[in-house]
Amino acid sequence: MSAGGAGGEATGGIPQNQLIALGTLGGLAGVYGGHFLSVASPAFAFIGALGAICAIVWGSAAVRRVASYGLGTGVPSIGMIALGMGVVASMFGLAVGGIAGPIVAFIIASIIGLVVGVLANKVLGMGIPIMEQSMTEIAGAGTLTIIGLSVAMTGTFMFDAVLETVVATGYIAVIFIAGGMAILHPFNANLGPDEKQDRTLMTALEKGAIAMVIAGIVATVVDGASAVPSILIGVFIWYIAFSKYVKLVHRDAYKVLGTGLLPTEEELE
Amino acid sequence: MIDVAGIIAENILYIAMVTLGGMLISWSVHFVPVGGAPAAMAQATGIGTGTVQLAAGAGLTGLVAAGAVMAVSDSFALVIASGAVGAMIMIAVTMIVATWVYVYGVGVPPASAKVDYDPITKDRQDIYVSQGTEGHGLPTVSFVSGVIGGALGGLGGAVIYYSLMSTSTTLSQSDLVALASIFAVGIFFVNAVIPSYNIGGTIEGFHDPKFKKWPKAVLASFVATLMCAFVGILTIGGL
Repeated sequence: MSAGGAGGEATGGIPQNQLIALGTLGGLAGVYGGHFLSVASPAFAFIGALGAICAIVWGSAAVRRVASYGLGTGVPSIGMIALGMGVVASMFGLAVGGIAGPIVAFIIASIIGLVVGVLANKVLGMGIPIMEQSMTEIAGAGTLTIIGLSVAMTGTFMFDAVLETVVATGYIAVIFIAGGMAILHPFNANLGPDEKQDRTLMTALEKGAIAMVIAGIVATVVDGASAVPSILIGVFIWYIAFSKYVKLVHRDAYKVLGTGLLPTEEELE
Repeated sequence: MIDVAGIIAENILYIAMVTLGGMLISWSVHFVPVGGAPAAMAQATGIGTGTVQLAAGAGLTGLVAAGAVMAVSDSFALVIASGAVGAMIMIAVTMIVATWVYVYGVGVPPASAKVDYDPITKDRQDIYVSQGTEGHGLPTVSFVSGVIGGALGGLGGAVIYYSLMSTSTTLSQSDLVALASIFAVGIFFVNAVIPSYNIGGTIEGFHDPKFKKWPKAVLASFVATLMCAFVGILTIGGL
C-alpha cells in the first residue's frame, strides 16, 4: 500500500461532471439495456458489463480526485469501502425495488456515501474539501458496478435470479473483489507526481474489461446470459485499452529501456 | 411493497445488535498494530500492510468460523466465541510470521518508537530503534494488542452475522446464509475503513497515543452501521 497522493487536488483531463454523467447514465443504461435486451436474446447480457465499465471509469476518477489529497492510509481502503457500501445498497435496492431496483439501489448508495463522507470530515476531521461529494460518487459507482456485473452474469437484475445465481453461489465475492480492484487499482498503480488522468482512466477501462471477462466466464453456467459475447468483447476491450495504456506509459516516461534477461551465473562472476 | 414498520418493530433487537457489532469492529481496528508501507520496509512498528487488509483478513476468518459453528449450533455464545477465536488465531499467526520475517529475514529487533519501555514486559525500547525509523517489528505489547483487536473484530463480525441470520424471513436457509454473509462482509469493510481514516493509516496498539482517538471512529461507525443495519434487516426481513 502507499500513503496516497501529494496532498492537493488532482487536476487536468476530463472535468469530473462529464465523468459523473458517463458513469451514472452509462451505468444505468447498461444495466437496463442488458436487462431488457436479454429477454430477446441472452447474448445481450454483455451490455450490463459495459454499464459496469462506465461506472468503474467514473469510480476510479472519483478515487483519483479524493485520494490525491492523501488519505493517510492506502488507496485500496477507499475501493473496499466503495464496494462495502455498494453491496449493502445494491442488495437492498434489488430486493425491494423490482423494476426500479437499480435506481433505488443507486439512491440508497448515494445517501450512505454522503453520510459516510460527512462523518469523515465532521467527526473524523479528515479535512478533505471534496470528501462528501467523492464518497457519494464512489458509493454510487460501486453499486452500479455490482449490478452491472450481476446483469452480465444472469441477464437480469430481478432479485430472485440474482440471489440464486450470483449471491447463493458466492460469485458475489468475485464481483466484490474484481469490481473493487477495478475502482481502486488505477489510481493506486499510477499515482505519483507524473500521474495523468488519461493514463489512470485507461487502466480503469482495462481493469473493467478484465471484470467483464470474469463475468462472462461465470455466465457459461447460466441460462439467462450468454458467455461468449461477454468474453470476446471483454478481451477485445482489454486488448485495446492495454495497448493504449502501454503507449501512454511510453509517452509519460522519460525513457523506456529493456534490461535484458537475468545474467547467468558465469556472467556474475 | 414491504411492511417497513412491521419488520423494524419485529427485528429492532437485531438492528441494535448489528450496530453494536459495527462499533466493536471499529474499536477493534485501533488495537491492531498496522504499519502500512513503512512497516513493510521495517521502518515503522507493526505489520507491513494496511488496516483494511488486516482487519478484513482476521475479521473474515472470524466470520467463516462463526458461520461454520452456526451451521451446527444455535447457541449465541458459542457462535460469537468461535468468531472471536477464529479472528484471534488468524491475526496471531499473521503477527508471528511477520515477526519471523522481521527478526530472521530483515534482521531487526522488535522495538516500539512510541514508548521507552514496553508496558507489558518493561523491556527497554528506545535504544533498539534504528536511526531514521519509527520502530520496527512487533514488540510484545503490539502483539498482545493485536490479539485483543482480533478478538473484538471477530466478536463484532460474528454478532452481525448472527443477527442477520436470526432475522425473521421466508428465505431458504442457503439463500439466507449467502445474503447474511455478503451483508456482513459489506458492513465489515465499511467499519474497517472508517477507523483506518481515524488513525491515519498506522498505529502500534493500545499504547500508541493515537489510540485515544477511538471514540470518534466508534461514533462515526455507529451512524454508518445504523444505516446499513436498517437496510440489511429490511432486505432480509422483507423477503
